[in-house]
Amino acid sequence: MSATQNVDYQKKELPKKFQTVGTVLFVIGLIGVIAAYLTDGSRSAFNNIIMLMFLTSIGLGSLFLVSVEFVAGAVWSTPFRRIPEFLSSILLVLPIVVVPLLFKLGDIFHWMHPEVVEADKILTGKAPYLNVDFFIIRVIVFILLWIIFYYFITKNSKKQDTTFDQSLTKRNIKLSAAFIPVFGITISFTAFDWLMSLEPHWFSTIFGVYYFSGSILAAFAAVTLIVVWLNENGYLVKGLTKDHYYSLGAFMFAFTNFWAYIAFSQFLLIWYANLPEETFWFLQRWEGSWIYFSIGLIFVRFVIPYVGLISQPSKMDPKRLIIMSVWLLFAHWYDLYWLAMPNYSKEGVLFSWIELTFPLMAVGIVILLLVQLSKKNNLVPIGDPKLKRGIDFRL
Amino acid sequence: MSEKILYSYTGIFDTPDEIIHAAEKASEYGFKNYDVHTPYPLHGMNKAMKLPPSKLGYVALVVGLSGALAALLLMFWMSAVDYPIVIGGKPFFSFPAYVPVMFEVTVLSASIATVLTMLFIFFKLPNNAHPLNDTLYMKKVSSDKYGISIQAEDNKFNEADVRRFLEDCDAKEITAVYYDKEEINYKHKILEPKFIGFLLFTALLTSGVTYFTLNKLLYMPPFDWMMEQNKLNPQATSTVFDDGFGMRKPVEGTIARGFTPYSFSGQPEAAEVNLVNPLPVSKSVLELGQQKYDTFCSPCHGYYGEGDSRLRGQFPNPPSLHSEKIRTWKDGRIFHVITDGQNIMPSYSSQLTVNEIWAIVHYTRVLQRALNAKESDLQ
Amino acid sequence: MSVVDHTKELSVVEGKPALRSLDDLISKPLETKPDKKFFIALSITLSMMGLFVIGLGLTFWYGVGMWGNNNPVGWAFDIVNFVFWVGIGHAGTLISAILFLFRQKWRTGIARFAEGMTIFAVMTALLFPLIHVGRPWLDGWLMPYPNQHGLWVNFTSPLLWDVFAVSTYFIVSLIFWYVGLIPDFATLRERTSTKIKKAVYSTFSLGWRFSNRHWQHYEMVYLILAGFATPLVLSVHTIVSFDFAVSILPGWHTTIFPPYFVAGAVFSGFAMVQNVLIFVRKIFNYEHIITLDTLEKMNKIMLVTGSMVGYAYAMEFFIAWYSGVQPEQFTFLNRAFGPYAWAYWIMVSCNVITPQLFWFKKIRRSIPIMFVVAVFVNVGMWFERFVIVVTSLSRDYLPSSWAYYTPTYVDFMILIGSFGFFFTWILLFTKALPVVSIAEVKAVVDDAQPSHKGH
Repeated sequence: MSATQNVDYQKKELPKKFQTVGTVLFVIGLIGVIAAYLTDGSRSAFNNIIMLMFLTSIGLGSLFLVSVEFVAGAVWSTPFRRIPEFLSSILLVLPIVVVPLLFKLGDIFHWMHPEVVEADKILTGKAPYLNVDFFIIRVIVFILLWIIFYYFITKNSKKQDTTFDQSLTKRNIKLSAAFIPVFGITISFTAFDWLMSLEPHWFSTIFGVYYFSGSILAAFAAVTLIVVWLNENGYLVKGLTKDHYYSLGAFMFAFTNFWAYIAFSQFLLIWYANLPEETFWFLQRWEGSWIYFSIGLIFVRFVIPYVGLISQPSKMDPKRLIIMSVWLLFAHWYDLYWLAMPNYSKEGVLFSWIELTFPLMAVGIVILLLVQLSKKNNLVPIGDPKLKRGIDFRL
Repeated sequence: MSEKILYSYTGIFDTPDEIIHAAEKASEYGFKNYDVHTPYPLHGMNKAMKLPPSKLGYVALVVGLSGALAALLLMFWMSAVDYPIVIGGKPFFSFPAYVPVMFEVTVLSASIATVLTMLFIFFKLPNNAHPLNDTLYMKKVSSDKYGISIQAEDNKFNEADVRRFLEDCDAKEITAVYYDKEEINYKHKILEPKFIGFLLFTALLTSGVTYFTLNKLLYMPPFDWMMEQNKLNPQATSTVFDDGFGMRKPVEGTIARGFTPYSFSGQPEAAEVNLVNPLPVSKSVLELGQQKYDTFCSPCHGYYGEGDSRLRGQFPNPPSLHSEKIRTWKDGRIFHVITDGQNIMPSYSSQLTVNEIWAIVHYTRVLQRALNAKESDLQ
Repeated sequence: MSVVDHTKELSVVEGKPALRSLDDLISKPLETKPDKKFFIALSITLSMMGLFVIGLGLTFWYGVGMWGNNNPVGWAFDIVNFVFWVGIGHAGTLISAILFLFRQKWRTGIARFAEGMTIFAVMTALLFPLIHVGRPWLDGWLMPYPNQHGLWVNFTSPLLWDVFAVSTYFIVSLIFWYVGLIPDFATLRERTSTKIKKAVYSTFSLGWRFSNRHWQHYEMVYLILAGFATPLVLSVHTIVSFDFAVSILPGWHTTIFPPYFVAGAVFSGFAMVQNVLIFVRKIFNYEHIITLDTLEKMNKIMLVTGSMVGYAYAMEFFIAWYSGVQPEQFTFLNRAFGPYAWAYWIMVSCNVITPQLFWFKKIRRSIPIMFVVAVFVNVGMWFERFVIVVTSLSRDYLPSSWAYYTPTYVDFMILIGSFGFFFTWILLFTKALPVVSIAEVKAVVDDAQPSHKGH
């Protein structure tokens, strides 16, 4: 069934400056992170969690997008499927990002101190789940699972570039179908472990879905940013149209709404029932300068992207898409900060150079990964049987 | 009989590719008043006809936003201004709880408005009298053919040119479509007796049904507004109790919650000596006293205590409250009269609480003082 | 099994039928007299509806005391049925709006029918809160209108949100449906020869002329309506879930309820649509329009939503334990091992375990098996609502007030009757309106769209 496809794609090297910018950002970030850890260890650890969760969002979210494309048999995203594949290579970096946190677990997690747990009846009850050993096992197993799926799915996809073998698509469909339930469970428990258990007394059944909605949005934003930029500068296959842009924009818009829906549901139910064991989490985020930060979240994460993406032309305008996707990535960081930081600083919002170094490093890592991968691989899955149909996709 | 008036020339095509091609040519030729008719929307046809993008999105946006705002304002006014009531310990204006209704109203108003605007303003439907309706052409394009129709009102219209243009496009069955006679001389039939009769009938029917529902149906079981109930009304006889009374007395030796028994019944002097007004003289107490006095005392004693009853002689006028006797009574005595009654005046202990009676006593003093002010009050 | 060729799009309508033959096929049920089978089916559904009328009559005459509801269990079959039927409706909007936005062409064959089911299911559902209030003739009070009592409705109550949500849902679905029907009415108008039919179709088609200048706006409106209907369908079951989740009752108050209810609604709705479509495609010979591929895709959606529901069950259980709140923990143990354990395990096995069969392609494509699975799903989803409503209420915070709820014969009459009501409408629908959208199906036949070659 193999057949060479007639598509207009010339592989081009990314400009050198990308490597330079990535390296500079990464080095500055790394030095900053080390300095931050030396000045204020636990505050840095909280920032490190935000970075970890941010990178997980994009890496895991992108792999999810890839697998959904396979399972759903979608074609519109096939011409640029390589981009989420590249982005999911972030999963390979996660073990390194986690390492510093493993030394700081006690500073981050209240429940890691046996004497605290013993004195607290509720925490004692949670001990079978919230204990150091099980926590570390979960972290390792989850990351390992993700990397395994990443490895096999991308390997099949890359192999197709040369073999044009359709059975690889079929194999990937099966792998993806297996990955999606694994994804659903692991991302929920990752959210519980790293974000919800920062406040071990609080609980919310929707929390996994909350993190999921934000993650997919962030992954879409990252993919949109890179795809639009690459395509506008002619690195991708010829023939991508406004219809492809529109789809990306529409998904960002849809998931902005989905996030708002989930966030509002969680808030409304807790606000309405007014049970003290739940409301204190929101009250923490309503004290001191956090109140402005919380109100800001509504605008940063919902109102601005909503207004920015609602009209049909705005979803097709490359400039607007790039601005909105950068904004959404920032908004995701903002959201994660809102989830994690109030547990460290109860008095109010903290912001200094420490908070800046971690995003710098994260962006540096992503750029370097992309540059490295783009050297060896095609930016377009030229062997994919759905490629031609994907390019011809019209609304 | 005038000549038939030409509406348009029409041509039929068999495949979608042909019609797209024809539409492109028509727009290139410079026709403005032409239209393409297809059994389903064809991809790329809007581009071929060079149609500007639809503006209906703005209708949805404007109406949707107005709907959301209207819903919010109405809910604010209803639950925080006109009928404020505390529910579940939430503030009168609790925005998060209004979000669901706001959302629903937005969707409802925007959907209805967009569809109505499209059908009635953009398309000017319903219109079954259009020249193209009831033609062979319409029969074909409604099923499996694709047609183009170039209207006579177009500036570039010229029978011979248009015919040649359609032939150049390889159109089949090129035909001219004329206005029907009815379509030209169309008159609204508002004053027709049939139509007026229909209106009258509808009016009679709706008013009859409404009258029956509201005045008859709702008083029949089971719709009878719970008028028939298996319960004892006040004063009704009971078969359950030996004495046959439906209303029961309190069990001997018990008192109701919040009720303080009055121990000076029939002893006005003792009450005057022993009872002291516990309330301070304050604005709120006097306002309470005034309100209760106006409600319960003023019908007989008058608003200023002068004994000028509003009952206009149906009842003997009570004495003025400004008499020397009453002015020198101690507070306890006035309290006693209100609580226990005196002569023809009944007891008000069931209508008024103890505190309210004391407030009335204070207010009575205010009235008395107003007519018999001291020298010092004038300074 | 043959290898799928991914380079080519699967045909939505099999065999590239001539467009005119689609007209003939789809309008055939409207142009022929109903046969014997139709009347047999109708008599069955009408008898079931008779039970409905008797059950409701008993309820109205003697009062809600005819039901099994008792003191802690103040909500029972009535609310269970309401949530069940609203849920059934959700598949229609999902197919017509969400799949439209996702540009899933396979939806065209089933969209009209599913939308019709939405409307009938919502009509059935609407009856339940209206009779649940006890004096349904006063239901007008649910609307905020200036009245002689000087009262306004309570806008902070989720029950009032329901009034707005379900009525909006009904109206918007109806509009959506009607907008889709206009071109089909016009096609029928051109086909028919009898005078009365022509007058009826002309009236409802509003004189539609298939003009492209109209199609352009029409498609825009369809997109806008789909854009509105998508969040609307989420909001409706979300608000239904708020009826429970804003309370403080363990088992009701949990934050995952909104997405969980929506997933459950789509799940049960797809099961119902699939069940009915299996008959429709057989009886009316629509096998090439409502293809096996379409059914398979529906089964896949059932698998996905069923797994989401399973995820929600697991999450509820885990967080109930994790929360450390005793009443929460008790409620879930009580569900699984208490007096209503039978209902709970029916729910889990029907909703979580059975749909897992759809992992296998053979089962996804076998009509008898998928039919049975979907029936199980419907049973399971009804029991899910039963479990949520009844078990949580029957054992609340106050052990002294605990009571076991047993439905009465009137409850069952109304339940069976609601199916009769629903299916009566469905049967009449198949004979009164085209159950497949003529214009939409034509648009997705192979080569029905211009190829844009040579431009």
